[in-house]
Amino acid sequence: MLKIFNLNIGRIALLLAIITWLALLFVDLVRLFGAINRMDTGFSPEITWILQTLFFIMVFLFFHNDIKKNEGISFLDLIWKGVSTGLFAAGITLLIRFFYFLLGNSRLSTDPLLKNFFYHVNFGLSTIFLISVALIWRQLILYQKDKNVVQQWQAFEIILLVSMFFVFFNQTTFNYSFIFGLFFIYIFGIILSVNLKWIPYLTFKEKWKSILFLVIILLSTGFLFFHTVTQTEEATVVVSLTENLFLLGLFGFVFIYALFSFLVTLFNLPTSSVFEQKLTEAINFQKLSQSIQPGQSENEVMDILMDSCMSAAYVDAAWLELSPLGENPTVIHQRFISEEDRVEVEEQLKSAKPFKDFLSKEEPKSFEYLTGKIKHPFYKSALIIPLRVNKEVLGHIYLLKEVKDGFNKEMINIISTFVGQASISVENHRLLSEAIRNERYKEELEIAQRVQRSLLPSVLHKNECFDIAGLSEAADEVGGDYYETFQFTPDRFAIIIGDVSGKGTSAAFNMSQMKGVFHTLVQQDLPPSTFLSQANGALGRCLEKNHFITTTYYVIDTATKSINYSRAGHCPTLYYSARKNTCAYLEVDGLGLGILRNSQYSKFIKEKTLQYQPGDIMLMYTDGIIEAKNGQGEEFGFENLQEVLEQNYRLSPEDLVKKIMEKVYEFIGTDTLPDDDYSLLIVKFLK
Amino acid sequence: MLQIDKIQEDEHVILTLSGEVDASNSVDLDNALQAVMEPNKKILLDGSNLQYISSAGLGVFMSYLEEFEAQNIQFVIFGLNQKVYNVFHILGLDQLIIIQTTKEKALQEFYEA
Repeated sequence: MLKIFNLNIGRIALLLAIITWLALLFVDLVRLFGAINRMDTGFSPEITWILQTLFFIMVFLFFHNDIKKNEGISFLDLIWKGVSTGLFAAGITLLIRFFYFLLGNSRLSTDPLLKNFFYHVNFGLSTIFLISVALIWRQLILYQKDKNVVQQWQAFEIILLVSMFFVFFNQTTFNYSFIFGLFFIYIFGIILSVNLKWIPYLTFKEKWKSILFLVIILLSTGFLFFHTVTQTEEATVVVSLTENLFLLGLFGFVFIYALFSFLVTLFNLPTSSVFEQKLTEAINFQKLSQSIQPGQSENEVMDILMDSCMSAAYVDAAWLELSPLGENPTVIHQRFISEEDRVEVEEQLKSAKPFKDFLSKEEPKSFEYLTGKIKHPFYKSALIIPLRVNKEVLGHIYLLKEVKDGFNKEMINIISTFVGQASISVENHRLLSEAIRNERYKEELEIAQRVQRSLLPSVLHKNECFDIAGLSEAADEVGGDYYETFQFTPDRFAIIIGDVSGKGTSAAFNMSQMKGVFHTLVQQDLPPSTFLSQANGALGRCLEKNHFITTTYYVIDTATKSINYSRAGHCPTLYYSARKNTCAYLEVDGLGLGILRNSQYSKFIKEKTLQYQPGDIMLMYTDGIIEAKNGQGEEFGFENLQEVLEQNYRLSPEDLVKKIMEKVYEFIGTDTLPDDDYSLLIVKFLK
Repeated sequence: MLQIDKIQEDEHVILTLSGEVDASNSVDLDNALQAVMEPNKKILLDGSNLQYISSAGLGVFMSYLEEFEAQNIQFVIFGLNQKVYNVFHILGLDQLIIIQTTKEKALQEFYEA
């Protein structure tokens, strides 16, 4: 809606401008006709002035609207708009002059009505040109505006508006008040004309173009002004349109700003390259500071860095030597120099003063930069800058120039900044990659955790004679604790609990091997001591030299109410006897699996059998329970565990597991994290 | 924290362990043992200031058992507190390594056996 409305304003203004111009023409021609024929047409000069002012306003509105639509176009395109209007207006005016030249001294050439018509055409074209260019100047003046400039411009617009109505009060041209008004407008125009901030942003080529454009505008303005002045003298004009404060003021303003712009652009030409250089540096800096996008490599940052350094110091040749710790230096990004020359220069550097110390020493001393002269047929000066990431020297940038003392303080400063920024980018990139990698490890560990959880049995075998419950928690994502049950016959069961030395991933791998060994051997229904000896034989071949597994293996027979067991270095089983109403740790000699990896092992494994009574409880656990430490470094210990069982023997195995864990957590306190895997497996005999 | 001191006495070397042996410093223990491994050597390990030993620490001793035998090295531990001794005992290592209560008794193993 708004857009259509805006468009309409432009069109309406254009239409009204044309109508007012035609009306103006009509009124003036009729008045002239009346003057020639000595008739009173009844048109007072005020009508002309009103129409003229209306025409100014309509043209202003039209261009104001037009320029708004073209927001964001380049300076050159903007100026070009002014140039094209100027050429058009000047062109038509020239054609008119040519037409009169052709007419020579014919009757038509002195016809006042025709002259008056062309006078109006010229007036209209001049107005259009001046207002459109003034509005273009407005855009340029208000580029990078601040509050002051905006206020100044608004004041100027008001002055111009007032000047339109000046004619109503003062008809005598060039009296004091007219000249004062004109002077006032010019002074104001000069004040505004110092706002030329757009010029530095032009490139060298654009500056040349804008100089050409400005010259055209200057010439057009000059020509139109000259024509207007001469024509006003020649034409028989009853009410002058052009001896108007507004129009003459605009002539001055348009000319002054064009002149200022022309001169400033001209004098800016020689320093243009410096500004362009700085702009390139800023852009390069921005490129470097943008963190490396995914898919981009450090190499690309180095590439940008080399380009930036080279353009910042007008370097003739360069290379980047990467020297990662403990590796041979590699040369990358070799620019404008052959390998042959590079080696030659490097030799030269080794003998030159400031570089000698750095290059000859084994351990490169840290330095900010090195610069100095070298004796080489082409290259006369060199600069070496180290590239550091996280205080570690990544490599060195070598820059060469064909002039002596080619590197001044400013260049070195800028290069140092570039290098620093590149370092930050590389560092960020590395941190990001590391974070991504860690995330992936975490994911892998989560998978391992799921797999390992599935290695622990979800259902434990039992019959109506006993109840069983178990729990296992790992300190890290994965752990090395293990328990499992097996049912041989309705009455006979095997139970195993184990703890793999160490924790984390390696323990988890060994635990899964343990599970494999258990399932292989348990099928053979071996006596516990034989079972452990064979397990030792199997695991001895696959465990690392300093790893072992502790385990206890039980065979329970509910028909004979017996427990037959052997211990391979595992924590002694805590046994509650219902008949005696006491707890005791079951003593039996044994040796951890993998400690002795020969046939001697079986000598160390003993086997014991005990008869259970209904109500007896067998508590199996891993050392994580015993060694759970509180804030003071005290261990939960065997005594505490025994006490908990003595006080809670009435509970079901499931509740007992919960109770023990509750007591353990109560002991260690909530602020300390368990640093070992822990497991519990509880069997309670029912009958 | 684990501190390992080495003293050469007569014909035997004494390694004194102070603090705790866990997964993070078991490598230090391994290096210290490796440094004193020589055929027919007599090694005494003073554990009277040892507060704790984890399975990783036990793994270090365990990994040297065969080498002790192969190189005819005599290795005796003494002075372990009850808790640490219990760890050796539960695992069964006390059956493979001579563990004595005092230094005198440990030295007897070397010179009077």
